Amino acid sequence: MTDSPLDPKSEASAGLMQYSPENLVPFGPVHPSLKEPEYFKLYLEGEKIVQVVPRIGYVHRGIERAAQDRTWVQNIYLFERICGICSFAHSMAYTQTAERLTAFEVPRRARYIRLIIAELERIHSHLLWLGLVGYWTGFDTLFMWVWKDREHILDLFETITGNRVHKSFITISGVRNDLPENIIEPLKKEMKYLTGRVDYYSDLVSTEETLVARTRGVGRIDQDVARRLCPVGPLLRCTGIARDIRKEDPYAAYDELVPDVKTSNQGDIASLLLLRLEEIRESCRLVTDAIEKIPAGNVKLAVPRVIPAGDSVGHIEAPRGELFYFVRSAGGMKPERVKIRTCTMANILTATEMLKGHTLADVPVVLTGMDPCFGCMDRIAVVDVAKGKEWSVRGEELRLHGINWYKPGRQT
Amino acid sequence: MEPERVSRLTTALEATATQQRNSTLLAVKPERIIEACKMVVEDREFYHLTTITAIDEGQVISLFYHFWRGTEFLTVKTAVPKSDPRLQSVTEALPAALFYEAEIADLLGVVFVGSPMTGRKLLLPDNYPTDAPSPLRKESNPAQIRKMMGLD
Amino acid sequence: MGLLSWSRKKSPWIFHVNAASCNGCDIELVASLTPRFDVERLGVQLVPSPRHADVLVVTGTANALMRERLKTIYEQMPEPKYVVAVGACALGGGVYQECYNVTNGIDKVIPVDLYIPGCPPRPEAIMYGILKLLGIAPEKELEPALEEEIVGAGASK
Repeated sequence: MTDSPLDPKSEASAGLMQYSPENLVPFGPVHPSLKEPEYFKLYLEGEKIVQVVPRIGYVHRGIERAAQDRTWVQNIYLFERICGICSFAHSMAYTQTAERLTAFEVPRRARYIRLIIAELERIHSHLLWLGLVGYWTGFDTLFMWVWKDREHILDLFETITGNRVHKSFITISGVRNDLPENIIEPLKKEMKYLTGRVDYYSDLVSTEETLVARTRGVGRIDQDVARRLCPVGPLLRCTGIARDIRKEDPYAAYDELVPDVKTSNQGDIASLLLLRLEEIRESCRLVTDAIEKIPAGNVKLAVPRVIPAGDSVGHIEAPRGELFYFVRSAGGMKPERVKIRTCTMANILTATEMLKGHTLADVPVVLTGMDPCFGCMDRIAVVDVAKGKEWSVRGEELRLHGINWYKPGRQT
Repeated sequence: MEPERVSRLTTALEATATQQRNSTLLAVKPERIIEACKMVVEDREFYHLTTITAIDEGQVISLFYHFWRGTEFLTVKTAVPKSDPRLQSVTEALPAALFYEAEIADLLGVVFVGSPMTGRKLLLPDNYPTDAPSPLRKESNPAQIRKMMGLD
Repeated sequence: MGLLSWSRKKSPWIFHVNAASCNGCDIELVASLTPRFDVERLGVQLVPSPRHADVLVVTGTANALMRERLKTIYEQMPEPKYVVAVGACALGGGVYQECYNVTNGIDKVIPVDLYIPGCPPRPEAIMYGILKLLGIAPEKELEPALEEEIVGAGASK
């Protein structure tokens, strides 16, 4: 018997709620650092997790059905609100897929601007994630520093697009407005500053003892898992498979400004940390390049009210991976069907694979490590297979359990 | 896609192939869907299953299995009658298809025979009314579903 | 005990619930903790359990799966308690109004004391709203133009 609050026999667990299997009610606060509420059921044998059953749907809003009742342009505002972090990615993927059904060519200047906003969003998303890793491992200072740096990107968004989060900057046939004047120098300066910060954070995550102990070798996956379960994004690239939609299927201005695809072959959370930091560095370079080489010209054509009939598929490399849209038009003012496959949907199965063989203390790090677009640690149910006991844990308890588990000097 | 590859697939699967913008569309009969998916992933370049799309087209529900090759899409298309929307689950050949099928089961009412997710909802609430049509079916009416679920 | 005197006696403890939101409002709320806005210097603190909280901050559309949980969390809070709805979705469904799985505004599920509009509202707007609820907002009325900018048109009425 340990003194862990998660050991049902310990005294410390006396305050925890315990439910019989028929009565399991997922219960738990959402910590402010977590985003969406989800539900994972973990089956334990002894200390080790042997099976994970996710139950999603806590954020299901009926968007695909709603898209059928809105015009083509109205849907841009709908889709960007699928996610507050990768909102531009969603609106861009939808717009590009719909544009494929038309005959016009998006102006070059608009394509460069789309690239700039998309890369800035990648930077902001990875920084947000890094801050959350800091939070979940008890490294509050890292969280504060990183999110303070992230504010710089939000300032840029506000200057260029008018909003910090839902930018509504894209439109069918281009972008809504041109870049503001005198944006070149501030943008370059900011990219230089962030590249310096990436150096600092890369050094930090590779040397800070507790962070290394909690991430090295944890959540390891290999290429076989990747081939079987088809994850996307950094999760795929950390196994050594160099696939990136920006390079394989260039869109926006990626045919002219080709990104350097970063991979790692370690497949664990520590390598994901470094990989995402390298991606931030690469994004800074792309933005600097784009703003220097951006051609003159107009930024949109006449926005159509009707899209010609047909089926179209398209995908982009959102911060979390391949984001896929299928659009069917019947030639009218509203789409007949829009199907969306988000990156996290593609990664859930891989995440459950990553959890197997680990203890509860590793759950926060592994689940954050996959950079989910939901705060899955809000409510977790734990099933002890041998004893047939089931109880639920709050994300906050798991976080503290993990921090204590990895304290230097603790007997494991 | 290279003509030899296309013809190999169409002959073996008794399928028809059309080129649709950036995707090669391979239409197969529903009984051949597992075989089709197996053939596609055997060709190592195609192992990435992007997703499965389903559309209610009135009399039938069409399903599109999108595979991304690294240079272009290959979409395997099949259809099931709406009166009896049952299809073999491809999760044995493609473990990644698990949640994509479950989503279609929830939102369009297609039954995937042999899927480990049978009987479990992925996205919809457990109290989704059983006599309401699945949300993405043509006959579904959001206002009616809201009323039945007591959301107002 | 009046709300004003009560709030001056202790720092308000806030519990945040994401009731099926896109994260936008939640991230702006969390951003208010970070050094640039630093809401903690005003005595406002985020707590991990509803049992310790005075104020419940809710974002999102309260979809069918989240409604019951929202009610449970509300019931677990001790009196006196106040509810703040943040963002267009919590106010009236936002862009998802009339979708088959959402509630048009969380005040159909639990009683709400304060509404903060925006999609998402800025961290300053969220902070200002919460402080206003608790009577800790500056006594002096802000210039109407500034108030309108932060909290939205019609707020100064």
